[in-house]
Amino acid sequence: MNQFITAVLTSLSTGAIYALMSIALVLVWRSTRVINFAQAGQAILTTYIGYEVVTRSGSYWIGLICAVISGALLGAGIDRFFMRPIFKRVNSGPIVMIAPVVATLALLGIIQAIIGFIWGLSYQTIEAPISTGGLTIFGSIVAFSPFNLMVLIAVTLSMISLTILFQKTNIGLALRASAYAPEIAKLSGIRVDAVRTLGWALAGAAGGLAGMLYIPGSNLYPNAMDVLLVFGFIAAVIGGLDSLFGAVAGAMILGFAVNFSASYISYKLVFPTAFLILIVVLLIKPKGVFSSGKSRSA
Amino acid sequence: MIRNTRMKRFSIVSVVATVGALVFSTLPAQAAEPGLSAKEIKLGYSGPLTGSAGQVYGKLPGAMKAYFDHINANGGVNGRKIKLVVRDDKYLPTLAATQTTNLVLNDKVFALVGALGTATHSKAYVAAQLAKNNVPDLFVNTGFSGFANATKYPTAFTILPSYAMEAKIMAKFIKDTPTLAPQASFLIAQDDEFGVDGVNGFKLAGHSFAAAPTLYPQGGLSAALAEGALTKLSAVPGKPVLVLFGTTDSTAVILKAAEKLSLVSKFTWIAGSVGGDANTLLALGVKPATINGALAASFFPDAKDATDPYVSEFMKINTKYNKGVSFDNVVLQGMNSAMLTVQSLRAAGKNLTRAGLIKAIESKGASFASAGLVPLNYSASSRVGYNGYWFGQLNEKGELKPFGGKLSVYTTDSSSTSAPTASSYERKPVPKNGVPTNS
Amino acid sequence: MLKLSAPRKRLFGFILLGWALLLISDRIDELRQYQGAFVAMYTLAIASIILLTGYSGQLSLGHSALMAVGAYAGALSVNNFKLHPVIALIMAALVAGIFGLLLGYAAARLSGPYLAGTTLALAVSLPTIANQFPVLGGEQGLAFDIGTAPTRLGEDFSQYQWFFWISCLSALIMIWFLVNLLNSRYGRQFRALRDNPTAAQLAGINIGRQKALAFSLSAGIAGLSGGLLVMLISGVSPSAFPLSLSFLLLAGAVVTGVYSLKGVIIGALVLVAIPEIAESVVSRIGGSEGFTTSLPGFMVSSLLILAVLFAPNGPGHLLHKKKHLKH
Repeated sequence: MNQFITAVLTSLSTGAIYALMSIALVLVWRSTRVINFAQAGQAILTTYIGYEVVTRSGSYWIGLICAVISGALLGAGIDRFFMRPIFKRVNSGPIVMIAPVVATLALLGIIQAIIGFIWGLSYQTIEAPISTGGLTIFGSIVAFSPFNLMVLIAVTLSMISLTILFQKTNIGLALRASAYAPEIAKLSGIRVDAVRTLGWALAGAAGGLAGMLYIPGSNLYPNAMDVLLVFGFIAAVIGGLDSLFGAVAGAMILGFAVNFSASYISYKLVFPTAFLILIVVLLIKPKGVFSSGKSRSA
Repeated sequence: MIRNTRMKRFSIVSVVATVGALVFSTLPAQAAEPGLSAKEIKLGYSGPLTGSAGQVYGKLPGAMKAYFDHINANGGVNGRKIKLVVRDDKYLPTLAATQTTNLVLNDKVFALVGALGTATHSKAYVAAQLAKNNVPDLFVNTGFSGFANATKYPTAFTILPSYAMEAKIMAKFIKDTPTLAPQASFLIAQDDEFGVDGVNGFKLAGHSFAAAPTLYPQGGLSAALAEGALTKLSAVPGKPVLVLFGTTDSTAVILKAAEKLSLVSKFTWIAGSVGGDANTLLALGVKPATINGALAASFFPDAKDATDPYVSEFMKINTKYNKGVSFDNVVLQGMNSAMLTVQSLRAAGKNLTRAGLIKAIESKGASFASAGLVPLNYSASSRVGYNGYWFGQLNEKGELKPFGGKLSVYTTDSSSTSAPTASSYERKPVPKNGVPTNS
Repeated sequence: MLKLSAPRKRLFGFILLGWALLLISDRIDELRQYQGAFVAMYTLAIASIILLTGYSGQLSLGHSALMAVGAYAGALSVNNFKLHPVIALIMAALVAGIFGLLLGYAAARLSGPYLAGTTLALAVSLPTIANQFPVLGGEQGLAFDIGTAPTRLGEDFSQYQWFFWISCLSALIMIWFLVNLLNSRYGRQFRALRDNPTAAQLAGINIGRQKALAFSLSAGIAGLSGGLLVMLISGVSPSAFPLSLSFLLLAGAVVTGVYSLKGVIIGALVLVAIPEIAESVVSRIGGSEGFTTSLPGFMVSSLLILAVLFAPNGPGHLLHKKKHLKH
């Protein structure tokens, strides 16, 4: 029973972190049709910035806020000063298909290298703001701490805010419109470029939050979030790249599958399990579980 | 069409020509022995500098270099200065293979010293063709007993007691200690030759664990896995004995998982010598209260024991040549190996050759001065270095004090079922100023 | 000149190149032989990506896994089935090719990012399977010994020269085969697939089958290069095929020009040269450990961005200065 409860709880908390990464990836995909591999680099860089703030100010929360804000700024900056020039230059020839992917991969490499230059490769730590000791549930201690709970709450709040933003505000409407039909949106007076940059900023903020929630349970080093990128991407694909809800659902499905198989079958099968889920989903629904039926031209 | 193939052939030929020009320019001047000149001896090290194992063992080459700097400042070895080339292999077998090959082919070192890692170095030894090129492989930093097999690794000399030896002595210790003998015992080990060597050692000693060993992939022990394993073990009645056979970073993960689950006092912890370095555990974030009372084996004096003549001498060298690095067991290990290396080079004489170096260790190695509290066992028929351990208990400050107050050293071998025997070995006095004068 | 047909000229060119390599191998030192073997191996791997992505338009991030399949197949052939090492290399290509065929059929329905995601997951998960099945050797891996050169060649024939010969020969044969293939009907069909799938379908090309075929060929070539890699490091283990290898190969392909096999050696040379260049930079200007370890990655990534910005369709096109609509 203890094992089951632990598995459920750890699935929820790991699923939550995957959800943040997959949300970030989906946000960028919807606005720019690009898989932003640099997301892992952005997230870890903003986490390093958060680490510096935490070390200097002594407060985790200030560091968290700084990480989220710098994540947004970094995301916006990358769209404005990196992706847009690339799209402008590369507009003919078969390279158009893969140039953005390759560009974000290259950006990931550059960011991680720069982190190595500045901070070195030693592992750093960020102290969690609240206890990381196991909680007592039904009389026994499980491997789920108040901090894990905080992660779950933070992600849920983020998702609720994003949903409200997208469904109930004008900006949200503009974001959805620009992603779905950019020409029509432009004709309606929406500044599509600015809106797209906003999408990148939101994604960057989500990544920054993910980093500050993930690293206290682990160590801080340039490649620390690479595995999150992989899982976030798989989760986004499972859920259907066009759907934010799909991103979260996919992340949860993945989190549960991975943790349960690790707990009950073998920890060695974590990645193969993820791959299996992915291939099964895509064989049935090649565009993800929650994708809308019709295909778009864009 | 024609233009394309002409263009293609032109580009092929130009590439070939460029490559040819490049390679012609690198024809080496043929030296008698690689890595050796009238003024310099080049030695090579391959081990983890970055990555999780690098956090723990990254300071090893720096410690060796500091000792070599000290020797160079005091005249070098027979007039030659020692230069250490260091390559990072991140504890990955494949990278170790290419880096060691680079040390031999690219950096052209005279000998390797202190290569670290079982799976990494066993791969690297074969890939870099050390046997074929007769490259001496001194004082390999691993307890894998296989390296002492001179047929398979003809140029290698081990230094650490093997994991099989350690397991046998651990088994004896558990059996002889009244508080531990009746408890159930479990083994959590690294899933490669390192861990398997330990498993075999326990078998040789006739020790049976209450369950099959939990094996985790080298470098891949996640917090979740550790928590899961410990949760399962928490159901065992009494105070089980947990033996941890792995690198220090993995030991840290397991101990931190125990902290999270409030299971620290549930078990008696026995950490292997490789993974039980208290200072590193504390540096990796394990709480002092957690390591208090944990048992660990060692064959060195405790690195914090400034009354020990070897430790104090090395501490001086560390302060002078290795600024900013705190002195711990890893630094002690590095400097000790460096001191043995210098003695080996001296013993090989001024007319230094690779074959001569190997012979020198075989014939004189057992009499070298070293910080170990157990003897070195080099001979014409043995590549085994240290062969014993003493057991101690850690306190909150990370100091290892002899268990029960009395230092009892035991020695044994890696392959027989005979029980460890008490050792009465006395160390040679530390060379004056830390500079050996042997020949 | 006009008397020879294009395929004959090609064959002649390859034989010439092979001869040149043979002569060079005698003149260079062991380090260059070793590096040369790596260049040949990377050339094959990059060619496999060019085939799949450049010619048939399917982006794969999983070529490290395909190399791994070939590598393990080769190692098992030698160790468990006691086959001759050269047969083992052929097995490496075959097994990887079959695997690629299955994968190709499964992936045929996937487009762009979905295919990328699947291959990414494959790249990350496949090596870890080695930990689950003891026959694959776990983290430690399996040993692979290509054997020493025949005694006919002399006592002093360097093992590294032997590696060089085997790698270069394999690469030459495979690339020659590939070039001929791409200049044939199959090549045209692949390109049709890439540029306009609808039109291709209308012209009667079975999209699913062609995609799977391209995948299979690409996988086979990657598998062979995996076998060569394993020969060079005398063994296979999961750590030899990290995800970053896939990225590295893609980078090499883009720098070369992913749509053409013309300069494929350049990409391989770049991949092998960069760590050396980085090392000499570091030895000249010094630097912390973080700098030393991160520099090669920085150089590859920068080169990649420059390639995307300034020579997106390959440096060959830069030389021509003509506007190509398609290759």
